Amino acid sequence: MPDSQKIIEIEVLRYNPESDKEPHLEVYKVPFSDDMSVLQGAQYIKDHFDGSLTFRWSCRMAICGSCGMMINGIPKLSCETFLRDYYPNRIRIEAMANFPIEKDLVVDLSGFIEKLESIQPYIIPREPRSLDQGEYIQSPEQFNAYIQFTSCINCTLCYAACPQFGLNPDFIGPAAIALLHRYNMDSRDGAAAERMELVAAEEGVFNCSAVGYCSEVCPKHVDPANAVNINKTNAAKDYFLRFLSPKGGSK
Amino acid sequence: MSKRRPYVRSMDGWWKKNPFYVEYMIHESTALFVAAYAFTLLVGLVRLGQGEAAWNGWLEAMKSPLSLIFHVVFLLAIMYHTYTWFKIMPITLPPIIVGGKKVSPGAITGSGLLAAVVASVFMLGLVWRIAQ
Amino acid sequence: MEIFKADVVIVGGGGAGLRAAIAVAETDPSLKIALVSKVYPMRSHTVAAEGGAAGVKKPTDSYEYHFHDTVGGGDWLCEQDVVEYFVRQAPIELTQLEHWGCPWSRTADGHVNVRAFGGMKIERTWFAADKSGFHILHTLFQTSMKYPSIKRFDEHFCVDLLEDEGRCQGVVVIEMGTGEFSMIEARSVIIATGGAGRVFRESTLGGIVTGDGMALAYRHGVALRDMEFVQYHPTCMPVTGLLFTEACRGEGGILVNKDGYRYLQDYGLGPLQDKPKNKYMELGPRDRLSQAFFFEQQKGRTIEHPTLGSVVHLDLRHLGEAYLRERLPLIYEMAETFMGLDPAKDPIPIRPGVHYTMGGIKVDGNCAASLKGLYAIGECASVGIHGANRLGSNSLTELLVFGKVAGVDAARNAKSLTPGKSASLLKQAEATEQRLLALKTKTGGTERISVIRKEMAQSMEDGCGIYRMENTMQATCDKLSELRQRFKNISIDDKSSVWNTDWLTAIELDYQLDVAQSMAHSAIKRKESRGAHQRLDGFELRDDVNYLKHSEAYYVAGDVPRIAYGDVKITTSQPAARVYGAAGEKADQERKGSHA
Repeated sequence: MPDSQKIIEIEVLRYNPESDKEPHLEVYKVPFSDDMSVLQGAQYIKDHFDGSLTFRWSCRMAICGSCGMMINGIPKLSCETFLRDYYPNRIRIEAMANFPIEKDLVVDLSGFIEKLESIQPYIIPREPRSLDQGEYIQSPEQFNAYIQFTSCINCTLCYAACPQFGLNPDFIGPAAIALLHRYNMDSRDGAAAERMELVAAEEGVFNCSAVGYCSEVCPKHVDPANAVNINKTNAAKDYFLRFLSPKGGSK
Repeated sequence: MSKRRPYVRSMDGWWKKNPFYVEYMIHESTALFVAAYAFTLLVGLVRLGQGEAAWNGWLEAMKSPLSLIFHVVFLLAIMYHTYTWFKIMPITLPPIIVGGKKVSPGAITGSGLLAAVVASVFMLGLVWRIAQ
Repeated sequence: MEIFKADVVIVGGGGAGLRAAIAVAETDPSLKIALVSKVYPMRSHTVAAEGGAAGVKKPTDSYEYHFHDTVGGGDWLCEQDVVEYFVRQAPIELTQLEHWGCPWSRTADGHVNVRAFGGMKIERTWFAADKSGFHILHTLFQTSMKYPSIKRFDEHFCVDLLEDEGRCQGVVVIEMGTGEFSMIEARSVIIATGGAGRVFRESTLGGIVTGDGMALAYRHGVALRDMEFVQYHPTCMPVTGLLFTEACRGEGGILVNKDGYRYLQDYGLGPLQDKPKNKYMELGPRDRLSQAFFFEQQKGRTIEHPTLGSVVHLDLRHLGEAYLRERLPLIYEMAETFMGLDPAKDPIPIRPGVHYTMGGIKVDGNCAASLKGLYAIGECASVGIHGANRLGSNSLTELLVFGKVAGVDAARNAKSLTPGKSASLLKQAEATEQRLLALKTKTGGTERISVIRKEMAQSMEDGCGIYRMENTMQATCDKLSELRQRFKNISIDDKSSVWNTDWLTAIELDYQLDVAQSMAHSAIKRKESRGAHQRLDGFELRDDVNYLKHSEAYYVAGDVPRIAYGDVKITTSQPAARVYGAAGEKADQERKGSHA
């Protein structure tokens, strides 16, 4: 190691469920270069100091959504956060907030996956079309109505940013509602009414108190807070329309 | 037997852990000042209905130094609330399309704040004219 | 050990695995499907594909063109009957994906748009901005939730195949969250675990791309075919290897050397074009572009960057910020975030990086392997459409077309058979469990996993890179044998059960060493140059007399692989000179003339 090698202190919240009662902090001194991400810092620790350090990662290019963590208390993708931006200070990495910790930086995402499954995240055709008929036609306006909400990579940073989810883990939460909204807004889909029940349910949009931090931390600019809040309006409209129309107002 | 033992972290004092949450809590709590001022005006209205003496008493109370201090505090809190209210407004609205382009969050906040300023100046002018 | 009884088990939850699962579910909703994936399906590496998926779309295009581009692009090592099927199914599958909600980019009139890609005569690449793989994967994952017969085993790691009476009848998996083993019985087993590029150092690939499924099939006697053909993508971020999609060039990006010279015109891809022209210059095939970089470096015409090493420039500046943000938003963000530069203002330093394994588990046109009941699809398979060099945007389509083929045939196969003998399978599964637990609990090892992994990756790059020589390939083969020995002496720091990634990484490394050996030994035996396998030691030309053959690597326990050869299926396209640019156009005209 050359003398000029810079060393950064990385403080990691460690938790081994088989030996620890509760999480504790451990500090590692990691040599780094300016192009090294926080993820690479964690990999360096695993490769050189302690193979038991546990974290999820894969693509390294902020598209697979695996490597979210709290970096100095802020939810971020560790692959696109760089050590140079923290040096010479110590940097602290912890498992994503608001989720149960399974081990070290790995959290339990099973609840999130169940929420994704619950919102019927697939096209339920407004007008069925056979493959012989070719593709559906979508005007630029129709396309622009939903495309932003397709960009979610399911990294769940928005859940780590949402205190309401922390207080009530049943809340469907930002990413799942953004995905629900994505399908509702797609001109090919005709199932917004079916999804309304969940929007307005106890675990639905009214858990949101418009903190707005979810949209702030979203690495893909999906703006999930917007999706949630538009659906508050939609749910309220639906509620009042129900009074006016005996058939129910879900539209 | 599974050896899983997921650790759930406490939410105690969650709002102190991030400056964004602190700002959110201040925003939310300043809503109380909006309510308090509305209540003050409501009391004035009730006193007006009770006759001239009651109304004058209320007016006198409004002029006391303590009341003036409260009014300054109300004003500051309500101004902060207005500012942060318009700041989160973009996330609560469906996309607004003007000339085929989505209006930016900054433009929405800006026009909201502008509208608030214009309305306040108008009200101020109106009251001024009546007082003359 | 917990036992789950399914009808079809699919290992791998990427594009191919998900498409197969949906195909089984649609073929017969009563069949129980187990979908095993070592990551949540939307993390699979399909997610990182950028450019798009090929399928005939324009009226000026034809199946025949797509066929010839693919077979010629593969340097005639393709299974031509399979390619014929593939090009016909491609537009159907891409339309199916549109019906499922994939947000393909569109033209102003609302139809799906197509873009130009390297080695393709006509624009036929369907794209969703530059996140095509991401959108394909999420569309398939979300659509798969519609089918109650698909039971997912997310974050389960497959460690063995189970065989009885000459048929593959299930798999053994580890639940990563608990470290516990389970056995999944099934009458059809589909492997869809993706590529193996992480056996190399500088690659575009995610950490999960470790060739697991290839090694599983290989150890059960199934051949790995054409493993020497490893694709270098010409435009990757130096050091990290992250990908700048070929669509950068399809949209008009150019490549220049240190003199600002568009050097591709010197390598049979010219003459120089002002605008992107299909099969010319930057729209040549990937192998040729990566090879051109190698020679520029030899000639000292690359840019020597102080921290990044030798690079050339990918120049997108003339396309303007607005266009780049619309067509290549991910590329734009990556350049900003990872390299701190603005592609509308600065040229992007790039060099080739490992991107794709053309070879894989040998299967027939139905995706069936030589072991009965076993199927393989996607990058882990060699169904025969890529030959010696894959054309960009053929692989995403492959996931869909052959995912469906395998799903339908696996369903048929499962229905035609009765369940096997659980007791015999369980015995095998328990033996596997004992073997792998022993790997974890053993003490006294001195080798670190990360050290062996790095030496393997460096050695593969040295010996099996863009250009290859006998002596360096031999050094790689020797190194891999040495690492195989040293692997026996590894130490695993983590002895726990819950989320033991240290242990799982060791199992992956074991897979990687097998796959690396199959690549290096297939490479050294191929004494010719073809597609992505290029030699500089007296075998610079293609040799159709001796090597118009698929290589087949067979596992030999405790020894190096045995390499055999199989025939190539030729239907209508006889091997010819593989030329691009003006020479390519001339050859096309001559071919047409001789048909008329």
